[in-house]
Amino acid sequence: MLNNYLPILIFLAIATAVALVLLTLGSTIGRFFAREPADRDKLSAYECGFEAFEDSRMKFDVRYYLVAILFIVFDLEIVFLFPWAVALGDIGVAGLIAMVVFLGILTVGFIYEWKKGALEWD
Amino acid sequence: MHTQITHLLALWASLPQIVRTVVWILIITIGVILCVAFLTLWERKVIGWMQLRRGPNRVRIFGMLPGLGQPFADVFKLLTKEVVVPSAASKFLFRIAPALALIPAIAAWAVIPLSPQLVVSKANAGLLYLLALSSMGVYGIILAGWSANSKYALLGAMRSAAQMVAYEIAMGFALVGVLMAAGSMNLGQIVQHQQGGFLAWNWFWLFPLFVVYLIAGVAETNRAPFDVAEGESEIVAGFHVEYSGIAFALFFLAEYANMILISTLTAVFFFGGWLSPFAGYPGIGHTFLGDPSFFWLGLKVFVFLFLFLWFRATFPRYRYDQIMRLGWKALIPVTLVWIGVEMIMAAIHIGPWARPWFH
Amino acid sequence: MLVEILFYIFATLLVAGALGVITARNPVYSVLFLVFCFVNSAAIWLLVEAEFLAIVLVLVYVGAVMVLFLFVVMMLDINLAEIRQGFTRFAWLGWITALAVIAEITGVIWRNGLGGVDVGRGFVSEPANYSNTLELGRVLYTHYAYPFELAAVLLVVAIVAAIALTLRRRPGLKVQDISRQVAVRAEDRLRVVKVSAEKRS
Repeated sequence: MLNNYLPILIFLAIATAVALVLLTLGSTIGRFFAREPADRDKLSAYECGFEAFEDSRMKFDVRYYLVAILFIVFDLEIVFLFPWAVALGDIGVAGLIAMVVFLGILTVGFIYEWKKGALEWD
Repeated sequence: MHTQITHLLALWASLPQIVRTVVWILIITIGVILCVAFLTLWERKVIGWMQLRRGPNRVRIFGMLPGLGQPFADVFKLLTKEVVVPSAASKFLFRIAPALALIPAIAAWAVIPLSPQLVVSKANAGLLYLLALSSMGVYGIILAGWSANSKYALLGAMRSAAQMVAYEIAMGFALVGVLMAAGSMNLGQIVQHQQGGFLAWNWFWLFPLFVVYLIAGVAETNRAPFDVAEGESEIVAGFHVEYSGIAFALFFLAEYANMILISTLTAVFFFGGWLSPFAGYPGIGHTFLGDPSFFWLGLKVFVFLFLFLWFRATFPRYRYDQIMRLGWKALIPVTLVWIGVEMIMAAIHIGPWARPWFH
Repeated sequence: MLVEILFYIFATLLVAGALGVITARNPVYSVLFLVFCFVNSAAIWLLVEAEFLAIVLVLVYVGAVMVLFLFVVMMLDINLAEIRQGFTRFAWLGWITALAVIAEITGVIWRNGLGGVDVGRGFVSEPANYSNTLELGRVLYTHYAYPFELAAVLLVVAIVAAIALTLRRRPGLKVQDISRQVAVRAEDRLRVVKVSAEKRS
């Protein structure tokens, strides 16, 4: 079985190598062709010509965290669905009912967040 | 000539398995990068034609086909541009973020079957691997946005991360439907299971899931009309606003490689991958056109890629709240309902679970 | 042989990554080291042919949980000097906790061994078409149906808790109701008036 995963490992290694080689090559050639010496204006962050007022790392709307948490929950739901879908032919009606109950419970959760307005983005 | 080819084939067969694998991986990687190069040209041409322009038509190769040399000219230009690292940036993360975006887009090809024989890895959990890789893709974007220490970049990264996350769920649910039909997570077997001509492919029974998958795919790749992450009218270029030269080119490469990937996956999951639409039909079913081959996969991928470009030329950009609304409140319920429908179909043995009239 | 070599490579990287998590000064780097650790442990799980669990580890932890961590760590205004101050003040508490955990782990292994696993024996590798996922699916939804449903309840509790903790309505917000927008009919909004043309004087 591991024989199937060795090519994946090699592929990952080659993809990494390709990306890093391209980056290094491009940066080196790019430095060679650079016209202007680096000064403060060239190296400052782009803000439509204004000087950056402050550090850009700021507090964010808590909504983004809520989306991330809900994503984890649904991701787990999908992970539970995968082996079930694969084994569907073997586990028959019992497995089907187990999943109906599972999805039913989670649909209640989904309806709850819908009604609560957690999915609103305003 | 003929003997030389047989010699070469014999030599190829005599190479150790690992060498052949590495050679195939290199061929696929370079192939994907070349496809990206010409896809950028094709995109500009198609959008040009749709807007009654000509698109790029100056750079030629050997004086032929106006515009064909454009991708190479672009590559040389980007290679010779300086990579500026802003002074306030987290230098190391800023430099490797483009690589983090590109690696998943290329490594995903490991499990994709290009023809009945040609696949790098026959891993059983191929589909799961793809999903895991596509969820890794978000790191390149978040880190690029954060490490640049620029307001626009950070806003773009947050938008795109939340958006990718929302559509990944819809995508995952759509894939559960495909799995239920195929009963395997191996992509080759998913294709095999759709055997039997145009109407036996998954799109017929899983049509809502196909639509959801395609929309989610467009959103996952941050393409128009879901490209608020770039939003050039508001946040300039989003997460890669501070990138220049080859570092920018890698993000570009990753985006287009992801487009090709999503198109290929749509073809594999819903349109029978390498299978021929005429398989089993009387007359043409027994000619070249009826045989499964890479030709059919390529054709399907081309069609879906064209859809990507067509969307970009046609649809105005969604607003951000509309994007989140579509992902959570339209696509996810549709997939849930259709999984329920599939459960009923599986219980009473119709559709892909019986297929009496396909055989 | 290759498996052993790979195991030691991944294990070394895992330990190095774990050290990185606790020594990195910037919390963002800590999170990234943790991501690196997860990827390496997934690779180690894969070496014992637990393909489903290995990839799910990457999918759930790297793809979802760590994204949340990154969101939090990146966007919280963390004043590093303040944290460092707290670090030295509460270091003794950390040491005691760490020692207690080490003592517990040692105790458990001392009493029970490694759960009957003969480490020196190695394992029988499965044939190429063996599907870990299928085996899991066969038992999880029938034999272990009850814990499986409990997992659903747990997830719903997580949803409710997340919403209760983070959802704040801002008062006085003007929101579009898209279904109402879509349901608008032309005759409610638009009146076509017939105006007779003026005579040219």
